Amino acid sequence: MATAELANGVTRLRLSPGEHRRLARRARLRRELTGWMFLGPMFSFFLVFLVLPVCGTAWWSSRAGSIFGGTKFVGLDNFTSLPGVVGAGSAIANTMIFAGISVPLILVGALAVALLLAKIVHGGAVYRFLVYFPVLVPGVVAALIWLFLTNVDFGLFNTVLKAFGAMPVTWLGADHALVVLAILDVWRNVGYWAMFFVAAIIGLPTELYQAAELDGASPFARFRHLTLPLMRRIIFFAVIVSTIWGLQVFDTALVLTNGGPGTATTTVIYRVWLFVFASNNKIGTAAAISLVLIVAILALTLVQMRVLRSRRGIE
Amino acid sequence: MADTALPMNIGAEDHARLRRRKRRRTELARHAALALITFVMVAPFYYVFLASLKNATEIFSYPPKLVPFPPYFGNYEKLLWDTGFLRWMFNSLFVAGSVTTLKIFLDSMAGYALAKIEMTGKRVIFMAMLILLMVPIGALIVPLWSLVSGLGLIDSYWALILPPLANPLGAILMRQFILGLPKDLESAARLDGLSELGIYWRIVLPLIKPGLVVLAVIIFTDQFMSFIWPLIATTSDDLQVLTVGVAALRAHGGANYGIWSASAVMSLIPVGVFFFVLQRQFLARSLAGALKQ
Repeated sequence: MATAELANGVTRLRLSPGEHRRLARRARLRRELTGWMFLGPMFSFFLVFLVLPVCGTAWWSSRAGSIFGGTKFVGLDNFTSLPGVVGAGSAIANTMIFAGISVPLILVGALAVALLLAKIVHGGAVYRFLVYFPVLVPGVVAALIWLFLTNVDFGLFNTVLKAFGAMPVTWLGADHALVVLAILDVWRNVGYWAMFFVAAIIGLPTELYQAAELDGASPFARFRHLTLPLMRRIIFFAVIVSTIWGLQVFDTALVLTNGGPGTATTTVIYRVWLFVFASNNKIGTAAAISLVLIVAILALTLVQMRVLRSRRGIE
Repeated sequence: MADTALPMNIGAEDHARLRRRKRRRTELARHAALALITFVMVAPFYYVFLASLKNATEIFSYPPKLVPFPPYFGNYEKLLWDTGFLRWMFNSLFVAGSVTTLKIFLDSMAGYALAKIEMTGKRVIFMAMLILLMVPIGALIVPLWSLVSGLGLIDSYWALILPPLANPLGAILMRQFILGLPKDLESAARLDGLSELGIYWRIVLPLIKPGLVVLAVIIFTDQFMSFIWPLIATTSDDLQVLTVGVAALRAHGGANYGIWSASAVMSLIPVGVFFFVLQRQFLARSLAGALKQ
């Protein structure tokens, strides 16, 4: 409306209501068009390569056959038969155990590193660089590096054990493989969340800490009763997001352990990949498990948005 | 503080010195802890670097040599001349570079529309972006593969470059950045008759340059590290990206620790160089998470 008035500032007084409406409509139309000119390109990719595939997963999950052609509609069969499909249950269990081990270790480790980093006066940049470096290592390469750590004969872990006179361990055996995979993830992600927490800690109000110190609160008490409560939201956000990331583990499992021994480290996405490209005629099952994963991730996302909306969230 | 200490016969100066000493001691303890942690984090890199400079028998010998002298360069020679490593590296840099360049423009434009232009459906679209933000490409391989192969793009650079453009993170970040800009400049420009395109190009883009660099770093590294989609989207050797090629080294041709270690070291060079130059922006990657809220 304002635009219409401005554009016709001279003739404004003689504008009939109908004409005014027409001009306002035209200005709005122009604004809409400009908006789409800016948003359209990105939005079309978003629609075609993200929204459409998410819907496509639901569609494929109701079909049976091979991805290379010839599928038929089977309703909800893929979901009802899911518990009985070889490998499906273990993939979901493995993924949850993996996230259950790695997420707490990542966040506790990151918080500890962040508390140390936020307080030191000199040399912080060097530590930050080194702690963050593993974050930038592609999963495939990280797994390759860990082959050299976990090798039974010459791996770094067993070399250290032997130096202390302990027995060498079969790190990638059935008992340990999933745990080792989770620890690898800790190594790769601690730096990321540590930097995230450092930023949060530096932003905390210093007056509260000075007051607590004057009152004689011990460092631990300050952490327990100030830092933790003040960072509640940040930590909650980190828990959700790192869990979502943990559920996606694939490349390290493929390269470090080949999903094995047996199916000990075959994760959800790993299993989906196997169903699609290694064993034929499992396309529907693959889509069904994918959908379970997507729904889990969406649920976590929504919980996170809901809980955090009250303060920052969406305007 | 000093006054309360007086009755105990400690002068203000002593007291200050004691506090200083205590502070120095905790600082020292923090350094010790951090040094230990970073040593543990970095040791794996050194161990692999060490292995890459050893020949096949040296790698397996115990106790391991901790200083690689005389160095053996055979692993690197084999990696560079007998495998497709250089091609993979080129493909990775090319694809990541293309995606980053395209995303910078797509996302900043989308962010501008989401932040500044009154249009119907904007809120719904923004919500959809927030909700689908965390859905990974790995969970979408079934429909995505059939879609891209239906378009006849499987096994082409297009297959590697187009799907990652859908990621809404950049648009969300740019919206946040642009919302934070002062309004005056923009309204002044509007009064001067500058078009929306002019405002975007001449006012907004220069102002959000720091944000664009951070975004570029995020997109480039994520793209450089991506694995599952390039793995299934390409079949010919010439189109393999670094991660896929390195995984193939591991999967085929038996155990070859020499080449594996050399490929791990070489893979880290581009990211290491970028990181060293753009440390600040890289560390802001973590902050992007906070903005994401």
